[in-house]
Amino acid sequence: MSDKNTPFLTIDHITKWYPHNDGRIHLFRSREKRSWVKAVDDVSLTMNRGEVLGIIGESGCGKSTLGRILVRLESPTSGDVLLGGRSTAQMLREDRKAFRKRVQIVFQNPFDTFTPRDTIQKILMRPLRNYGIGASDEERLAMCREALEAGGLHPTDEILKRYPHELSGGQLQRISIIRSMFFKPDLIIADEPVSMLDVSVRADIINMLLDLAKKNNTAVIFISHDIALTRYISDHIAVMYLGRVVEYGRTDDVIAGPRHPYTRVLISHCADVDPDQARDSLPITGEPPTPINPGPGCYFAPRCFMACEGCRAAYPGRVELENGHYVCCSCIREE
Amino acid sequence: MTKIQKALRAIVSDKQLLFGLIGIAVLLLIILFQDVLETHDPYDYGPDSLAAPGINGHLLGTNKLGQDVYSMLIAGVSTSLKVALISSLISALIGILLGGAAGFLGGKVDMVLSELINVFMMIPTFFLELMIIAMFGNSITNVMIVIGLTSWASNAKLMRAQALSLRERTFVKSAIVMGETRPQILFNYIIPNGIFPVIANTTMGMSGAILTEASLSFLGLGDVNVISWGQMIYDGKSYITSAWWIATFAGIAIVLTVITFYMLGDGLNHVLNPKHISGGKK
Ligand SMILES: Nc1ncnc2c1ncn2[C@@H]1O[C@H](COP(=O)(O)OP(=O)(O)OP(=O)(O)O)[C@@H](O)[C@H]1O
Ligand SMILES: [Mg+2]
Repeated sequence: MSDKNTPFLTIDHITKWYPHNDGRIHLFRSREKRSWVKAVDDVSLTMNRGEVLGIIGESGCGKSTLGRILVRLESPTSGDVLLGGRSTAQMLREDRKAFRKRVQIVFQNPFDTFTPRDTIQKILMRPLRNYGIGASDEERLAMCREALEAGGLHPTDEILKRYPHELSGGQLQRISIIRSMFFKPDLIIADEPVSMLDVSVRADIINMLLDLAKKNNTAVIFISHDIALTRYISDHIAVMYLGRVVEYGRTDDVIAGPRHPYTRVLISHCADVDPDQARDSLPITGEPPTPINPGPGCYFAPRCFMACEGCRAAYPGRVELENGHYVCCSCIREE
Repeated sequence: MTKIQKALRAIVSDKQLLFGLIGIAVLLLIILFQDVLETHDPYDYGPDSLAAPGINGHLLGTNKLGQDVYSMLIAGVSTSLKVALISSLISALIGILLGGAAGFLGGKVDMVLSELINVFMMIPTFFLELMIIAMFGNSITNVMIVIGLTSWASNAKLMRAQALSLRERTFVKSAIVMGETRPQILFNYIIPNGIFPVIANTTMGMSGAILTEASLSFLGLGDVNVISWGQMIYDGKSYITSAWWIATFAGIAIVLTVITFYMLGDGLNHVLNPKHISGGKK
């Protein structure tokens, strides 16, 4: 398990297909003939312990679906996720509680993350009791107070007595992070954790998440639309388009030298990535398509400014560049 | 403090709820002061048979056996409320558990339970009740259990719909990720958040329970050892032309009580609507 060569997290050819409901009855149609929403389509990634991996891409490209699969709220149609070389599907089967403790998620919508019926105290105490963290209820309560205090939520006694709807989105998201971090997880997925919050509190909340992650040596998968933000916090970046990773590499490599036309378009439309370097916006046409039976060929080809004939024939393979940076584009030659 | 104020404002703003609550309060007061209110012992066979209202101090007359109709009406309140309460509790309990489990667990469990719910929605329940009572005897306990066992399907259907939408909510997903077990999620999240329509429906169902008990009694399948309004109508129906007061007042009592519970249930339905209570969101 502690083999040096085994990566901490391996996402191994994950796909997630949802049956596409086009209003017809498919009782007698075979799996091949039915239409599918390929929300996640053959995604493979690895990451190291304690790293931050940013996943960016436009709405509907399957980022949240990937996140849900990683925490096993859903199981993949095919493929597996390995944590320390062990299959998470198997871990979940063998010891559900232990797996849940290792992989956590912070949801996008803090207003719906907690049941409206319970006070914050009940909400925070429940997992602690469930997992027997802390010897007594007094000790657990002290842990809650301490964590709230450290998270800048005071007066703690007041907060503990409140119901979720009596707190702000920022406060709720902090509590969500605190609760997940009680477990000292190995991996935490942050699915657009600040996109529903006021701009003024975003940085604080992300810093809090990153501080806690660093303290517990927790790896973070940061899912976001926001390139400027993702670039600022992550070690590696994966760019997704229609369920596929089209480019992956160290953050600096991807941001400073994007190779995939889609990444280049994204970055060129993002004003605050590189203010010194005046870039012209690259053109992108058409609406983001839905991932219903995409292909053959490169999924981005219909909107791509670089597209050529070869792009429409088959989905392009990986082109490896330096430092593990790779891109999936037929117009790029290996260096 | 603010919660109580909110509740009070909700009650006053909803006329049906107010009416229902006043009605229930009156019924409870009658039960509380039953001994004071009864002018005669309702189980006592007096000398006056079929006395008209007003004669010999019998406010609403007497029946064939000389029992005081007014005192019987008073005694009937507690019977009706007992039947309503216990049978509804049974029906709510079964409905919440089965409906919640079906909606939350989904899959095969849901398929089986949904079929069961549909069967119970479709079968003529009154016929079933008749058969069971005929088979197991007509004590008031049996009547209550049978009403409960045959009326849970609408509660289950409501609870299932609630569970189906609640299980997609983020707080349920986050509970799963926090390692909570399915029973824990059912009892901590699904039921507490989805129970309100069931409470309203159960309250309305109480009027159905009272009617069912009355109907069973009317057909002679009630408990003859307990005074109930249905039993009074059953006794009085052969005298409806000669001694109309025996059945009529009991009928009026049933109608008023049924309306009270209906109003209360409907009022609760308005006030407990998730849009009203979940404060934070619009
Ligand atoms: N349960 C489901 N059933 C059917 N289709 C689904 C389901 N969940 C997601 N999808 C589809 O899968 C695709 C990816 O959805 P996903 O929520 O993962 O996107 P996303 O990248 O997180 O988007 P956003 O940035 O808007 O959050 C979408 O086209 C969506 O319609
Ligand atoms: Mg999403």
